[in-house]
Formats: sequence, structure tokens, C-alpha cells
Amino acid sequence: MPHGGLWPCRLRQSPHAESMALFIEQLVNGLTVGAVYALVALGYTMVYGVMRLINFAHGDFFMIGSYLGFTLVSSALVGGAIPLWAALILITALSMVGVAILGVVVERAAYRPLRRASRLTAVVSAIGVSIFLQNAVMLIWGPRYRAYPSWAVPDVSWQVGGIYINLMQILILAVSFGLMVSLYVFVQRTTVGAAIRATAIDHDTARLMGIDVDQIIRLIFLIGPALGAAAGVLLGLYYRQIHFTVGWTYGLKAFTAAIMGGIGNIPGAMVGGLLLGILEMLGAGYISSAWKDVFVFLILILLLMFRPTGILGERIAEKV
Amino acid sequence: MRGCRSCLVLIALSLTLVLGFGASVFGAGETGPVRIGLQAPVTGQWAYEGEMARNCVEIIADEINGKGGVLGGRKIEIVVGDDQCSPKQSALVAQRMISDKVVAVIGTYGSSVTEPAATIYEREGLLNIAYGSTAVQLTEHGWKYFFRTCFRDDRQGAFFAEFVNETLKVKKVAILHDNTTFGKGLAEAARASLEEAKKAEIVFYDVVTPGERDFTPILTRMHKADPDVLYFTGYYPEAGLIIRQMRGLGSKAVFVGGNAAINDEFVEIAGKDIAKGALMTQEPMPTDLKYAESKAFLDEYIRRHGVPPSSPWPVYAADALKAIAAAIDETGSTDSAVLADYIRNEMEGLPGVTGPIGFDEIGDRAGAIYLAYEVTEDGKFQPYQP
Amino acid sequence: MTEWDGRFSLSSKLRLPLSAVKSLPSKWGISVLIAIGIIFPYLASDYWIDVAVFWGIYVLLGLSLNIIVGEVGLFNMGHSAFFAIGSYTTAILSERFGLSLWLLLPLSGFAAGLAGYVLAKPIIHLRGDYLLIVTIGLNEIIRITLLNNPWGLTGGPNGIIVLDQFRLFGRAVQHPIDFYYLVWVFVAITVFVLVRLQRSRIGRCWNYVREDEIAAQAMGIDTRWAKLLAFTLGAAIAGATGTIFAAKLVVISPESFTFMESVILFTIVILGGMGSIPGVILGSAAMMVLPELLRNFARYRMLFFGLAMVLMMIFRPQGLWPSRRWTTILREGESE
Repeated sequence: MPHGGLWPCRLRQSPHAESMALFIEQLVNGLTVGAVYALVALGYTMVYGVMRLINFAHGDFFMIGSYLGFTLVSSALVGGAIPLWAALILITALSMVGVAILGVVVERAAYRPLRRASRLTAVVSAIGVSIFLQNAVMLIWGPRYRAYPSWAVPDVSWQVGGIYINLMQILILAVSFGLMVSLYVFVQRTTVGAAIRATAIDHDTARLMGIDVDQIIRLIFLIGPALGAAAGVLLGLYYRQIHFTVGWTYGLKAFTAAIMGGIGNIPGAMVGGLLLGILEMLGAGYISSAWKDVFVFLILILLLMFRPTGILGERIAEKV
Repeated sequence: MRGCRSCLVLIALSLTLVLGFGASVFGAGETGPVRIGLQAPVTGQWAYEGEMARNCVEIIADEINGKGGVLGGRKIEIVVGDDQCSPKQSALVAQRMISDKVVAVIGTYGSSVTEPAATIYEREGLLNIAYGSTAVQLTEHGWKYFFRTCFRDDRQGAFFAEFVNETLKVKKVAILHDNTTFGKGLAEAARASLEEAKKAEIVFYDVVTPGERDFTPILTRMHKADPDVLYFTGYYPEAGLIIRQMRGLGSKAVFVGGNAAINDEFVEIAGKDIAKGALMTQEPMPTDLKYAESKAFLDEYIRRHGVPPSSPWPVYAADALKAIAAAIDETGSTDSAVLADYIRNEMEGLPGVTGPIGFDEIGDRAGAIYLAYEVTEDGKFQPYQP
Repeated sequence: MTEWDGRFSLSSKLRLPLSAVKSLPSKWGISVLIAIGIIFPYLASDYWIDVAVFWGIYVLLGLSLNIIVGEVGLFNMGHSAFFAIGSYTTAILSERFGLSLWLLLPLSGFAAGLAGYVLAKPIIHLRGDYLLIVTIGLNEIIRITLLNNPWGLTGGPNGIIVLDQFRLFGRAVQHPIDFYYLVWVFVAITVFVLVRLQRSRIGRCWNYVREDEIAAQAMGIDTRWAKLLAFTLGAAIAGATGTIFAAKLVVISPESFTFMESVILFTIVILGGMGSIPGVILGSAAMMVLPELLRNFARYRMLFFGLAMVLMMIFRPQGLWPSRRWTTILREGESE
């Protein structure tokens, strides 16, 4: 192990420097997890922004991404002619495509027929989709925990100024920030992005402006699940262990992140995700692992008590 | 509109009634197959446990039926009830088993799920043998019809304490559990035994949340306490991550897992070079038992499903069926009171997959042998040699 | 110009409560249903009686949540928290002080109602989905607290065993049949009270808040008070149901009060038809009885269940038995 021998170095540091290093390490951990929450939260927030729908099946898109990645990694793709890094990029891309197609199918089958109904109707439909997807995965891949093979990502870590950082953390941060920035630029700077924003404000007016609203919604259901799938593959590689029930846990966290940042708001989802990741790690590191989630939800409640529409949410009167 | 709604109600009601009738008519006759229930989580988070339990029970049932069944030619039929590892579903399954008039029930997995079902079985006087419920409290109620083929938490905890003090001979112990009934029970039993022996000191005792995947904050704190050994009493998905993440933080404490952590996926999740040298406390696995039954059973399991069962519990379900079938044959009865009486007082040394089967007067499996296992270089488990 | 005859004001919304009354089944229909309900246990097996018991428990929970979600339109997806508070109040007081369950029933209701009031007070001003996530948060906070066994009160993951039973005429309510009548008598009482409440001033006031909060405020309704009242009442009924649940299940552990449980309750209300009492009864049947009917599919049963949820919503988007008042509004609001 490359890091084992480095450990005594840290013991020689002053207690203050040591606790500082510890704090920064927790922060880096929090950022890594938070970046993934942010990627998943983007899917929630985009669907919400355009359709006012809380897509409870979104966490399961993330989970299916993990499973697709797992199957591809275990397949002949890796260890063959192409180098590992190229194979990993290909696998991530293929999983994203696969889940994006699934996203569009789900939208067509379970949400489009309900677009005119009350929005809570679609929420229940989404819960049904979630139960369906989980059980489908259980039947296809089996009920056991699965593990990404350990050779897929080399366990490399470095020590920078008393802080340990490993390769996967850097990869996760780089890929998620890359995806988030490109999404932001896409939505803010392109014509299609403008169409998405217009649709989010008002479907009917957007239609009058010549925007094909169905097309935009389909696009949202391509992008959101694809981002979720990317997060799924990244986390699969990071933790290795995957299970078909993991979608609920991460879905709930990502939804919390989206609300924290102000739902419907893209930069809000990013801020919310990162904040949630950091809060979680600090809570577990400095308070108690058992009470960590209590701590996180208390902060959420306090935040919403004073900013009822999240950090970056607009103060608009919503008519329920 | 109105007509349509009334129709809906009527359809729903009549369906319920028909099914209700159906179920009640279905009693087992004197010549039909002997119906034995298996209550297990076949869907939901613990579905893999339920599936393996069913596989194990089916092997034994086929074996008995192949030899001509019980009671002079009656076949054994397994009735599976899915409790999803939820207390509410468990109560419903128990009631269903009673309505289905099964002779006895195997199950279930998970102690807090067993409690509501066992209460109902006790009230209705139906023999039930749990296969994965290790919480101490279950056999302290004085229940007449409840038994278990798995061993209680406190025995494993005591074994761990002895192992730390006599074999490893280390002084500083950290214990982590996962706040499940099983994990917490084992952790508390281990803590109690260690405190009683007064040889080693517990320097860290905390909880992780199952289903999560990042434990670095708590492991950082554990590492600061500088233990010589970490005992993790939870399940393998978390165990694999914990050992990997603690090594990533530079901790060199010996990792010891409980018998819920011993599993091939543990090695897969951790990676072979990290899992190497990890220890587990565990009843002897079928592969290490000298009994002919264990070997034959395991071969058959691998023949049918390709791999051996990946966790220790399902095999106890097989032994529960063996105990029930033997009791039926010996007493010539399918009456639960007779069967329970026989199992409690007379069953002794019945050759089972996990060793001789016998029970003490409160319904616990008699005799418990624990071993420490070590993960080898190539990711296999072998008995630990200091 | 014709002279105004005063009938004008009876148009549209004001007439709605009357049509809502019509949407309830006729007296004849109700009597038949009650008769079926009474003879049902003599025809069905104990197992189906037990299914009906849990169905009844979920009807009670669904009715309690319907006040909050259906009548006032507050998105509460953490309702099992109040159910948990009621169950644990019963379990703890019964274990420590041996209080009778008949006494604990109102006491648990009171405890959960109080908790509902105190917890909802600071967050009741939140709107829509923000309230939804906060209630989920409350649910998680309470579940984790129960799991962590504060002061050794809750027994952690093992939970608490409730050894006492309801006693009626010197006889313990223990058998499925006894429980069946107990639960459904409670359902009948609750339905009766809630129907009266629906037609009362408070009920109309709640619906007004749901339809248009700002207009309601302008008309002098204290919307905050109306919402808090609904929340407290809903929590109290859920809490009292917790006592029945504790007696039925014997062991109370945090596993019974997960986020998923809240999702099921929420689904019951929407699936049945928001604000509709018969809807809640049908919705709980769909969520409780349907998975039992699917048992023969073994491993596939939850797959089909998920599919069924989607199909039910697609073919009856307004719910299985929508409240008349609600459908009218939906149709008006369709273009939104």
C-alpha cells in the first residue's frame, strides 16, 4: 500500500495542523459525495423546472446506470484491445445512452398520459415506476449485492500537504464539474437551452413561440437520466458495491439537495448537492455517525424556515 | 360514472371473498402432501437471503421426497410466504400460514421481523423454527413453539472476546455495528464479554448506517482512537467498504467481521489485496465441516445454482426442515404440540448440514462451535492459524 | 333586464358541497356494504380477515392524512412519523406503567397531535414541495431518533414488545375476528365524524384554503390556523391508530415507520382521489389488498404492483373515487 508508510509523517505534525488536515480531508470527501448528489439533483431539478413533477423514479435511473456500467465493465470491453481509460470513458458514455433511452421510454409511457392531470397524479405514477424499475433490476441482475471488479480502477492515492486524495475522488470531481459546467453553458447559451428555459416558465406561451414542448420534455428526459447514469457509474467505480435498493437512498438525498438549492434552479442543484455532501461528512466526522442524517435534516428545516424557497430559489407565490 | 364505481367496489369485494374461500377450502387432507411453510424475504432489500433460503429448503425437500417422503409416503410441499423483511408483512404471512394449515413453519430471517410472526404462531400453536434470527430476547419469552437452528448473538460475542484475549492478545479494541437488531445484538454481546474479562479495553464504539457507502468520517475518528483490532458486526456490503476505506486512511488495525460479513462479495468489494488477512468469527462453514451431510449438501447446491450460498444463514433453513421432517417421522404425527415436545426433549445429535441438531429447553440450538476465519491471498476463507 | 332573483349566487362553487354529498354512495348502497362487512369474517379465512384488519388500519391512516393532503392541500410525505409517535407512546407507557390500551388510545392520539402541532408550527408557511421535503425530513429525524434509542426509551432496532391487549367485556381482543370488528368500528366512527366535519364550516374553510389561499385570506379566514388545525387533527388520528397497530403487531420497531411507509400513505390519498373518503377506502385496498392478491406471483409480485400503480393513475388520473368538488376544480384548471 503506498499510503501505509506515509502515515507516521502525519503523527509528527502539530496537533493543530493535524486537525486542520483532518478537516480538509473531510471537506474533500464531502465535496466528492456532494458532486455526485449534485449530478443526480440536476435530474430532479430539470424535470421539476419543466414539468413541475417530482420524479421519484430518478434515483432508480442512477441505480440502473450503476448496473449497466457494472455489466459493461465485467464484459469483454475491458482488458481487450483498448486501454483502460478509454474503456472507462466508453462504458460511462454507453451507460448514459442506455439510461437516457430508458428515461425517454418512461416519460412516454408513464408521465405523458398524465400531463393534463393533477401533478400529484404523476408523482404517484413516478412512485409506481420506481417500484417497477427496482424489481425489474432485482429480477434481471439478481437480488445479491454486486461488486465492480477491483482492477477496473487502480487504488492510487497521493498525499498533498498532509491530506490524502485518491484518484477516483479527482475523477469524480473532474467529471461531475465538467458535466455541470457544460450543462449550464448549454442551458444558458444555446438556442435549445433558451427553449428549455422558456418551456420552464410557461408551456403555452412557449408553444406560441414555436417551441415543440413535447420535444423539450423528451430532451429533459434524455439529459437528466444520462447525468444520473454518469453519477451511477462513477459511484460504482468509487465504492464498487452496488445494490438495487440504492436508488431510494441517493434519490432522497439528491432531492433534498435540489430543494436546498431551490428546486427548478440549475445552479441551485449544484450548490445544494455540494452543501449536502459537506454537511453530511462534517456531521458524521464531528458529531456522530448515527445522528448525521438528523443533523442534515435539521439544517434543511432551519434553512427553509428562514429561506422558504431554498438558497437560490426565487420568491414566487406558488399556486398549489 | 356511478355505475362504474359501484362495479369497481363489487369486483374488489367479490374477488376478496372468492380468494378468501379459496384459501379456506385448501386444507391439507390426511393423505395429501405434508405442507411446510417457509417464511422468508423473497422481494425487497433482503431478497437475496430469501432466495437462498428457498434454494436450500428445496434441496432438502427434494432429498426427503426422493427417499419416499415422510409418514410412509407423503411428500413434503414447501409453501413460500414473502415477508419482505417487514414486521407488518410478517404478521400477515404468519396468519396466511395458519389459514393455509401448514404443519410447521421455517423462518424467518431478521429478529425484529420474527417477533410478530412468532407471537401469532405461539398463540395458534404452530411449530416454527427460525433460521436467521439471532437476537437473544427471542428465546427468553418462554415460547412453547419457537425454536431456532442458528446460534444466539451472545455466544458469538463471547467467542470474540476470548479470541481477542487469548489468541490475538491485544489490548485496544474498537467495535462498530450497523444498528440492525443482529448487528447491535452481537456488538453489545461482544462488549459485555470484553468488559467482563477486563483484559482488553474498548477504545471506540459506534454505529454506521446500513445502505450508505461512505464511512470515512467515522473511520477517521476510529483511527484516531488507535485500536489494535476493529470488530465490525454488520453485514458484508458495509464490511467490504469499511475495510477498504480504513486502509485508505492508513489504519492498520486488524479487521474482524462477524458472521454476517463472511461472504465472497466481501472480498470482491474490498479487493483481494485489501481483504487479505481480514478475520471473521463464524460457525464452521459447510465447506469446513467434516460431516458427510455438509459436503453432499454443498455439492448439490453448487450443482443447481453454480455457486455456494453466499451467506451463512440460508443453510440453517435447510437444517430447520431436517429437524421438522425428522420430528414428523419419529412421532408419526403432524400435531405441532407433539412435534415441539419431541424437538425440545428428545431430538439430539440429528445429523444436519451445519452439524448435529439438538435444542435446549428454551428452544435454542444446543452446542455452538465458533471458529475464526482468515481471508487468504487468493480471496478464500480458511480457518485462522495464529 | 330581468330582476335578479338571488339564485345567481348559487352557481358554480357554492353549489359544490351539495354535489359532494351526492358523490357518497346512497343509503341503500351503504347498508349493503355494512351488511357485507359484518358477515365477511364468517365467510373468509383468518388470513383474509387479517388482511382486512390491516386494510382497516390503513384506511384510518389514509383518512388522517386525507385531512392534511386532501382537504387542505398540504403536501405531507412524512405522515408515518406521527403514526410512529402514537405507536411508541402506547408501547412505552404500556411497558413502563401498564396503562390500559383504552386509556392509551386517546393519550397516544393526544401525544401525536401535540407533536404534530409543535412540529408543524414553524414550517406550516412553506409551500408545496418545500413542505413535502421538510415532512420527509421530520419522518427521517423521528425514525433515526427511535433507532438510536435515546435514554434507553425506544429499544433501538429491537423495538418494544407490547404485551397488553385491548380488553372488552373481560375478553382480550386478540383473534383476527375480534380485531376486525374493533378496527372497522373505529373506521366507521372516524368516517362519520369526518363526513360531518367535511360538511361543516371548518371543512369548507379547509377546502377554501386548498383552492385559493390568498382569496381565503382575503375573506378573513385565518389560513395558518386552518392549516395547523388540519395538521394537528391528522396527526392525532394517526397517533390513535398507532395504539391499534401496536396491539395488533405486538412488537413496535423503527422498521415499521420508514419513509416508504409515508410514501404508501401519500399514495393512498392520491390514488383514491384527493379529499374523498370513499376514495381513501378504495386507495388503501389498492395499496394493502392488491399486493396480497399478487402473492402467487412470488418474486414478480412487486414488479406487477409497480406496474399496477402506473396503470391505475393513467386510467383514473383523478383517483379511483374522486371527490366531486375536486374533479370540478381539476377540469377548470386543466389548461394550467
